[in-house]
Amino acid sequence: MGETSYRFPHRGLTTASALNRVDLQMIADRAREHLSRNRETDKKHPSLKGLTVINLFFEASTRTLASFEIAAKRLGADVVNFSAGNASLKKGESLADTAETLAAMRPDILVVRHQSPCAAGFFQNTTGVATVNAGDGAHEHPTQALLDLFTLEEHFGDLGGRRIAIVGDILHSRVARSNVALLSLMNAEVRLCGPASLLPADADRWGASVFHDLDTGLEDCDAVMVLRLQRERMSAGFIPSSREYAALYGVNHDRLDAAKPECIVLHPGPMNRGVEITSALADDPDRSVILDQVEAGVAVRMAVLELIAGRGPQEVVL
Amino acid sequence: MSLSTLITGARVVDPASGSQFEGDVLIEDGVIAAIGPALSTSGAEIVEAEGAMLAPALIDLRARANEPGSAGTEMLDHTLRAAAAAGVGTLVLSPASGSGIARPEDVEVVTSRALTAPVRLLAAGLTHTASGDMAEAGLMLRAGAAYIGEGSGQIADMRFLRNLLSYVSAFDAWVSLRPEEPSLADGTIAHESSMSVRLGLPVRPALSERLGVERLAALGELTGARILLDRLTTSDGIEALKAARKRGLEMAASVPLTHLLFNEVDMGALDPAFRLDPPLRAEADRAALLAALANGLVDVIVSDHMPVAAELKANPFSDAPAGSANLEALIPALCTLDADGQLPLFAGLKALTSGPAELLGLEQGRMEEGAPADLILFDPSAPVIYGKDGLYSPSPSAFSGRRLQGRVLKTWVEGAMVYAHHAE
Repeated sequence: MGETSYRFPHRGLTTASALNRVDLQMIADRAREHLSRNRETDKKHPSLKGLTVINLFFEASTRTLASFEIAAKRLGADVVNFSAGNASLKKGESLADTAETLAAMRPDILVVRHQSPCAAGFFQNTTGVATVNAGDGAHEHPTQALLDLFTLEEHFGDLGGRRIAIVGDILHSRVARSNVALLSLMNAEVRLCGPASLLPADADRWGASVFHDLDTGLEDCDAVMVLRLQRERMSAGFIPSSREYAALYGVNHDRLDAAKPECIVLHPGPMNRGVEITSALADDPDRSVILDQVEAGVAVRMAVLELIAGRGPQEVVL
Repeated sequence: MSLSTLITGARVVDPASGSQFEGDVLIEDGVIAAIGPALSTSGAEIVEAEGAMLAPALIDLRARANEPGSAGTEMLDHTLRAAAAAGVGTLVLSPASGSGIARPEDVEVVTSRALTAPVRLLAAGLTHTASGDMAEAGLMLRAGAAYIGEGSGQIADMRFLRNLLSYVSAFDAWVSLRPEEPSLADGTIAHESSMSVRLGLPVRPALSERLGVERLAALGELTGARILLDRLTTSDGIEALKAARKRGLEMAASVPLTHLLFNEVDMGALDPAFRLDPPLRAEADRAALLAALANGLVDVIVSDHMPVAAELKANPFSDAPAGSANLEALIPALCTLDADGQLPLFAGLKALTSGPAELLGLEQGRMEEGAPADLILFDPSAPVIYGKDGLYSPSPSAFSGRRLQGRVLKTWVEGAMVYAHHAE
């Protein structure tokens, strides 16, 4: 016969670099099905029926939490949310105790957002419960990178040879770290562009090229991923002011002249309009795929939840 | 009015190449059109040099003015006329000028003043704002700032300094930083030596400067920033620079004019005119600075012109503000050092012409055909008593009353004569 099959091996997703190209293909194929079903009136696909998902958000979030909650609910799971404001997360117990207590309630999936790098992995290792990293400090945000990749592939098809710039505060960005891993795996040419004080000293060893001048960085790009600029970067002395940032690193139609004419713009949100991106560009239907990203987010997270729970199309013939 | 000027019979010097010859220079349309023996042209205004020296006009990377913002007794107009009379064709206002050049708008104020200035006027931008945030270095450089630098007082926060150097490195601009260990330097007014200790002055050890150079070298290595060591004054500092250069670091350094002529003994009588920052050092330090200039280790001499109101200087040494008006002493000081065999005139001129020009990428500062006609004619052997015939800067100077030699006769900027000395 000569045919081999591959089973999705992951029972959790704490880092994007754990995924190979086949994994990505399986997630994307499944997400595409969910994406079209999500546009129907009946969005229910109860593949996670009977399973319990706990969304554990130690750091404030609206869009990521909503996206995970909707994804799990459409799949028929029982969903419980704990978020930063929740007193139960602030009782002074160790994170290991919190993890074990929750695990004793027999959830099937934990979705964890935490301010400490590698916190999601800590939950998975402590409890053995399938854990999805919804952002851990400046470390990783794998589902964001997956939805970015999905959006890009829906637009371009194969990303091999496509030039993609990630612009902004790379130093503090988990989105950038996860994206560099996945985009490089898909053989895209990744460029990192931002103020030198917001780029890690060894970023050129990430397999991406580094630029401090936006016009040079955007040259002939197929896509630009604009990162959110946190206000506290100014008071912490990393960069002077949002005015200077907007003037030097803010992406707008004029700056995009350096890129390919059909270059698209992504942003993980929430946006500082007028700082890292102009409103005109963010709202330009010919350029901006920002709302496509949000829509893809639910579908991609549905696919991830199903596959790590062993309830999706787990096998593929190579 | 004639658009061309022919300067005849000059000793033409080019500090960049070290060449010197008798000859003529033709200025046309603001540039040096021809250099050579026995040039002739019709319709040009003739200036007979009568054997005086003709050199590129000086470029001073550090002069404090009392503007923009609050003006003191010395107005910017005074400073600019002093510059023209001093043979300075390009004057860079230090970042702490006036109320501080901390925003692109402040740079623009200086740039607009430059339109009516007799000499080329540039501004340097501050590293940080009054509230301690990083200043808008990118926008200031875009507005024309010559470099970014500290004001008075050193940045103690290493993390801030690292971020700043990293950030500015992207713009390929120089960051001028005074090498000093703030915890050793703050509150001191004199160089640490047996003499100053006996005088009961709070003293700053040379170690402070050495540690400053070493930490900036380390930060430069990490961030790739182009660091201009602002006003080295000690032999320890020079040694630390030498070590950094040996490691291949791109660091430049300036020395202040005052410290080439004076040492702590000049300060010994506690005349407030010699209250300077950094303080005057030992004779061995002065010798080390001169040697570093002669061998090219140090790139730049700065006037460190600092107009202090006379009434503020009329206080005991420790209470008088630091600073001295030095612009008009530049050429007399260089000529005197040369005549005394302490520093060859070419080395001194180089550090005030092609040295700073190369640093900032300026076209002027060279005696070359096609270069901007920023020129000075000076008599290197004319005896002067500093200030006796009056000065354009009304501010107190450490050079006052000093017997020197060397007088600027004429200054041209972009081909236009902006100063001519009139004998009494």
